[in-house]
Amino acid sequence: MSEEQVLIQSPLMYRLVRAGDGTLFLDVVVGGIAQFTVRVLLTAQEAEAYARLGRPYADRLAMDVMANPSFGGRAVRVP
Amino acid sequence: MSWTIRSLLLGVFLLSGCNHGGGNVNPTPELPQACDAYQANISREADERATPWSVEKHLAQNFPDKKVSWLMTDAAYQNFVVATNAQNFGRCNDTGCYLFAAPSATIHAAVEKSMVDGVHDPAVIGQALGLPAKNFEGPLRMMTLDLEATGVCVRLPVDSDPGVWKCTSEEDTDCFKFGGYTSGGVPELMVIDAPVAQALVAEIP
Repeated sequence: MSEEQVLIQSPLMYRLVRAGDGTLFLDVVVGGIAQFTVRVLLTAQEAEAYARLGRPYADRLAMDVMANPSFGGRAVRVP
Repeated sequence: MSWTIRSLLLGVFLLSGCNHGGGNVNPTPELPQACDAYQANISREADERATPWSVEKHLAQNFPDKKVSWLMTDAAYQNFVVATNAQNFGRCNDTGCYLFAAPSATIHAAVEKSMVDGVHDPAVIGQALGLPAKNFEGPLRMMTLDLEATGVCVRLPVDSDPGVWKCTSEEDTDCFKFGGYTSGGVPELMVIDAPVAQALVAEIP
């Protein structure tokens, strides 16, 4: 199995990573005076949208996660 | 509390005191005039919305020593500050790097109170800062910045700032409410372009 590949390391404090199994996930720093990271696995539709629209789409998705850190229950806190 | 952490915290406190000539506090702190036109405009609008409150009154009442602090998990610090060789803390876009920060005394006291046998208790920090304990699980980093020495731009945080998540109910205690206080009641500021090189960073096991 190949290793993780960081596709985007953003100054907005998120990174988009391709996992060894090919799936994409976002690690996003959330919080105000206390910051921590949450991870969101991209759905097939989101992965397709990223393939089509590129970084602006990833930026928008990461900002959505920052604005709603539970992300509808999809976000998992990264230890 | 381990000697390492105690020494780090003591060092931070001593440095804080030394920068103010042994604890003399300016009774009428003035807003650092480092905001560019873009940030100054946001600050002006925020002050108008907060009237009769303002960032100047906020600084005078809640940040008398002009020291701010904030916490990050060590993993976030390593991945998004160290690994990227970041020049400034916070979320950066074309207009600047945006960082929420609280009075250093508040953060330091919460951390110190939480230390048991050299390890912090997330529940104690959470309770002290009015935030969920899970936000503080695992090793942390505590940053401290002297606003006066760095001359950075500060203002009241606003809804459009990167990283803001809005409260959905009055009961929410982990979200953004306009006015200069966290949903847990801790004073907060928006710091623009907080330089990494000028911040004191302490490890909190």
